[in-house]
Amino acid sequence: MVDVETMVRYVSPVNPAVFPHLTFVLLGIGIFFTAWFFVYEVTSTKPTRDIKKELLVSLVASIFSGFGILFLLLSVEIYV
Amino acid sequence: MYKYLVCGVFAFLLTLNIANSDIINKNVERVIDLSSQLVKISATITLENTGKNTESSFLVILEPNTLRNLSYISVKDSHKDELKVTPVKLEKYGDKDVFSVKLNQQLAAGRTAVVNLECIFTNTLVPYPSSITQKERQLVRYFGNHYFYSPYITTKQTTSVVANSRSIETYTKLKPVSQSDATITYGPYTDIKELQISPMTVHFESNAPFLTVTRLERLIEVSHWGNIAVQENIDILHTGAKLKGPFSRYDYQRDTSNNHHSIKSYKTILPAAAHSAYYRDSNGNISTSQVRVRKDWIELELRPRYPLFGGWRSSYTLGYSVPSYQYLYKTPAGQYVLRMRLIDNVFDDMHVVELETSIVLPVGVTNVKLNTPYQVERLSDSLTYKYLDTKGRPIIRLKKTNLVEQHIQDFEITYDWQPILLLHEPILLSIALYLLFLVVIVYVRLDFSLSKAEHVKTQ
Amino acid sequence: MVTMLGLNKKSQSNANAEKQETLLTLSILTLAAILSFATRLFSVLRFESVIHEFDPYFNYRTTKYLAEQGFYSFHNWFDDRAWYPLGRIIGGTIYPGLMVTSAAIYHLCWLLNITIDIRNVCVFLAPLFSSLTTIVTYLLTKELRNAGAGLVAAAMVAIVPGYISRSVAGSYDNEGIAIFCMLLTYYMWIKAVKTGTILWSTLAALAYFYMVSSWGGYVFLINLIPLHVLTLMVTGRFSHRIYIAYSTLYCVGTILSMQISFVGFQPVQSSEHMLALGVFGLCQILALVDYLRSKLTQDEFETLFSALAYTFGAALAIFIGILTFSGKISPWTGRFYSLLDPSYAKNHIPIIASVSEHQPTSWSSFYFDLQILVFLFPAGLYFCFAQLTDANIFLILYGVTSIYFAGVMVRLMLVLAPVMCILSGIAISHLLTKFMKNVEPKNPSEHHHKKKKLESNLVLRNEISAAFVGITCILLISYTFHCTWVTSEAYSSPSIVLSARSHDGGRIIFDDFREAYNWLKMNTPEDARVMSWWDYGYQITAMANRTILVDNNTWNNTHISRVGQAMASSEEKAYEIMRELDVDYVLVIFGGLTGYSSDDINKFLWMVRIGGSTDRGAHIKEWDYYSPSGEFRVDKEGSPTLLNCLMYKMCYYRFGQVYTEGGKPPGYDRVRSAEIGNKDFELDVLEEAYTTEHWLVRIYKVKDLPNRGV
Repeated sequence: MVDVETMVRYVSPVNPAVFPHLTFVLLGIGIFFTAWFFVYEVTSTKPTRDIKKELLVSLVASIFSGFGILFLLLSVEIYV
Repeated sequence: MYKYLVCGVFAFLLTLNIANSDIINKNVERVIDLSSQLVKISATITLENTGKNTESSFLVILEPNTLRNLSYISVKDSHKDELKVTPVKLEKYGDKDVFSVKLNQQLAAGRTAVVNLECIFTNTLVPYPSSITQKERQLVRYFGNHYFYSPYITTKQTTSVVANSRSIETYTKLKPVSQSDATITYGPYTDIKELQISPMTVHFESNAPFLTVTRLERLIEVSHWGNIAVQENIDILHTGAKLKGPFSRYDYQRDTSNNHHSIKSYKTILPAAAHSAYYRDSNGNISTSQVRVRKDWIELELRPRYPLFGGWRSSYTLGYSVPSYQYLYKTPAGQYVLRMRLIDNVFDDMHVVELETSIVLPVGVTNVKLNTPYQVERLSDSLTYKYLDTKGRPIIRLKKTNLVEQHIQDFEITYDWQPILLLHEPILLSIALYLLFLVVIVYVRLDFSLSKAEHVKTQ
Repeated sequence: MVTMLGLNKKSQSNANAEKQETLLTLSILTLAAILSFATRLFSVLRFESVIHEFDPYFNYRTTKYLAEQGFYSFHNWFDDRAWYPLGRIIGGTIYPGLMVTSAAIYHLCWLLNITIDIRNVCVFLAPLFSSLTTIVTYLLTKELRNAGAGLVAAAMVAIVPGYISRSVAGSYDNEGIAIFCMLLTYYMWIKAVKTGTILWSTLAALAYFYMVSSWGGYVFLINLIPLHVLTLMVTGRFSHRIYIAYSTLYCVGTILSMQISFVGFQPVQSSEHMLALGVFGLCQILALVDYLRSKLTQDEFETLFSALAYTFGAALAIFIGILTFSGKISPWTGRFYSLLDPSYAKNHIPIIASVSEHQPTSWSSFYFDLQILVFLFPAGLYFCFAQLTDANIFLILYGVTSIYFAGVMVRLMLVLAPVMCILSGIAISHLLTKFMKNVEPKNPSEHHHKKKKLESNLVLRNEISAAFVGITCILLISYTFHCTWVTSEAYSSPSIVLSARSHDGGRIIFDDFREAYNWLKMNTPEDARVMSWWDYGYQITAMANRTILVDNNTWNNTHISRVGQAMASSEEKAYEIMRELDVDYVLVIFGGLTGYSSDDINKFLWMVRIGGSTDRGAHIKEWDYYSPSGEFRVDKEGSPTLLNCLMYKMCYYRFGQVYTEGGKPPGYDRVRSAEIGNKDFELDVLEEAYTTEHWLVRIYKVKDLPNRGV
């Protein structure tokens, strides 16, 4: 058995109490960008479409949504 | 594993056993506790070395045919230090079950030492009659030995038997014997030969819960997001006298006394930091449970869906979460150490027939080392895929049979793990979402029509 | 927005308006879809994620089997847990669409390592599909009218109680997905009619196949579409588009539907499908006639036409006659008759009449389930008539037929609810568009004044419009409140867990059903056979995993009748029947202690009727169970036959000693509000095996035959 005295207790890198708030903020931003992306896709026509903008907006949307979903899972106690 | 050990010790001790016969039991005070469903025997033994050689160990021997019921054995010296107990086979004692106990301080010639022996037997109290009606009392019988069973001569000994209630039907009367309340005192007897047996029977009423956990699956999931989830799948069986004839709800509701052989509820102890506990079975939540928060633990009063009578079984799942800092440590060397109970309290004086503990470690752990407080069977490791896993999480699986409360001890798992792996899941999610967006971007650029659309043509 | 610099100003503002509209449409639709999911979660929040009622338990059990064993063993599954000793071939006697859908979702989730429990998939499937229904309703209404009406209809269908009643979380039944399939098929069909392309009609056929695989109600669909085609023919709107659409749909759809083993050859044999076949034939003839007419002169054509018409007509009549008499065309089934003639079932088949959801709908339940839609429906119909198109005719037909069927059977309210929403959506959207135009903000410009003078013949135009819009808003708001209230109060109880209010306002949970089923599961032999009334069959097999005699799939009338006879007979006679059926345990539901009114004593008259409806039960007469004054009573005045029958004894065994209410004698039944008439009796052939905490479920063990000579 390893001696307990020499070890530090392991705590989560993010305080579980802020999971819901993080979820709210991150998912909010994510959904905003997702909505922007889809509206842009639907309304723009072939000549007005800009691939760079699409890629950028979707990248931001996916990163924020990805982290948002993760914290959503964590805050409903699905610990991945 | 066990076999090799026995053989090794066997060869070693064969040379020692002649010298051992110089030891005698100067005084033995034995308490047989029958107040629960378990038989707890504790004996304070004063050993005396009457030979000329210094002794470093002595022998403990079990009565014939009791080894399979032995769940736990421990010997402590007068300083309350645990002594090492190893099962041995000795030619002298034939197929009897012998344990060799190594003394911390050698016993010089002519000196005495006091040791404390504790044995816990399961399935030893037998309901008699074996089936009763709802209104009858539950009686059990205990078969034992008036004398302390030992390979040495015993100079003086007393035994007290503690029954569960004052109503003792019969007991064997080997004089001197006396009964007061629920306690029967045998002895003192003097100058008992080695391996002397005099059958003792005690037949008494016992309303202690005769509840056996036939199988306990304990699942521990470690998440480095700061949570350890514990889930226990428990099958229980009432092992008291079987219910004969009908079950009448009317009689059951009228009988409000607590002294009944049926089991309405029992208490489980959870760690103090446990939260979001659930109690359910294959058909959904069991809504009858109560949580009481004590200072150092959480007490959960569980009520099965139906009261348990003899021979009735039930099964349920109990789960809870604890924050990781309770059980997960980080060593200065950067390793992680999980230190948790191999088995936890199900109810007081519990008896678990079969335990399987599975520990699910996080994704990407390497160099896993296991340390257990007592011998357990380690089943082959496996992998599981939970939410958002690509590589799978390793599961360490341990198995042990015939456990009691004294087995509630910590195991320890040490492993290496990179904190960067925490980002594995969110990045996976982001990539999946980004792929979806890319599909949309590609999709809007595709044109499946055979002819150009009208408005494009006119432009 | 920066990238649009190259465009001129006008197209930019156009694009902006379009952008706003798209955003608005998308967000309204998304909100409606989320709302329709969320409003169905009352029961999960209030109780737990649990399957409701009776039939869903069967679906849950089969889904679990499918998910674990795979499709082929599911298809070949012979279930020996039900209908002892007959058993049941599950694969060939169910519509597998529901199970396949949830098993597919389940496997997809597991493929993505989302380790979701199959029960949760089942619980949340219906809300998920109602979200999809919301979207499909929008698409359908958009095709029928315009996007505005579509949005209103989508918002309405999201919360319409008539649909919620069968699609709350946990209500895992065929109807949950069938409504989505039905509307999807309609959408595809309207598309096909409008475009006349094979693509859309094939898609319609696929949607139809999904519908057939999931619900027996597909018969409504396969009659409605031909009816639409027939009406179009009669009104002279038949065209090549419709010819292509219907021919493709019928051929592909029929062949696909025959792949479902429960449907089998019905589409070409049973009378319910004959309209579709006939219209298909008519389509071909009409097309041929059109073709010939374009090739021949008028005289030639007429001669040919009359000759052919008579020959074919006679041949067809003889052919059908032969088939009917030789039994190739199945006779009209009872359920179908009861659709056309509401009193048919009651008079002929007690088992159909005993099901509460097969009762005719009362007016109050129309209002309860649809509220303002009832009044908006005629308005919507009017607007459809006012602007008659091929698609609108379909909507009118759908509305009129479904309102008739909903009147016949409560259950079919479900089919009516979407069309009510669509028509009301059209009405609301039309009216609001008209009046909103007139609600103009006060504009003090000169130009406006001039305009107003010119239109001075409309007095208080602005105010009236504003008032109308206001009233409409109030109506819609009241609809929302009503829907939420109905959902929360009436349709969100799982019926497996009961709850009541105690005197001090707290909530008491009666979890007796699961208590009893769990007891059966854990403490009876694996192969024990349990006799109960058929309502509880599915629950016992699913939750207790024990063999049962009869269940909710009431296909074998005589077997159910035998159980009814056992319940209605005296103990000795019942013992003979129970020995004959190898019964080990008997389970009854008894509400007398708690006041749970849908217990077995209240259902008892149906058992008597069904028991007496076959030859072997001819000695059981309903009148024997009434008191001399013609009432059904359980107290001293009750008939001795009732007071000594097995059901009575099992329900009231030892109940005579129990005090249930203060100030009442012991043995006071709180459901029937009477002191029971037969109190002190012992059971000879049964013994009480288990009774739940609130006495809701009582289980008895059938004793073995006494030893010879004792």
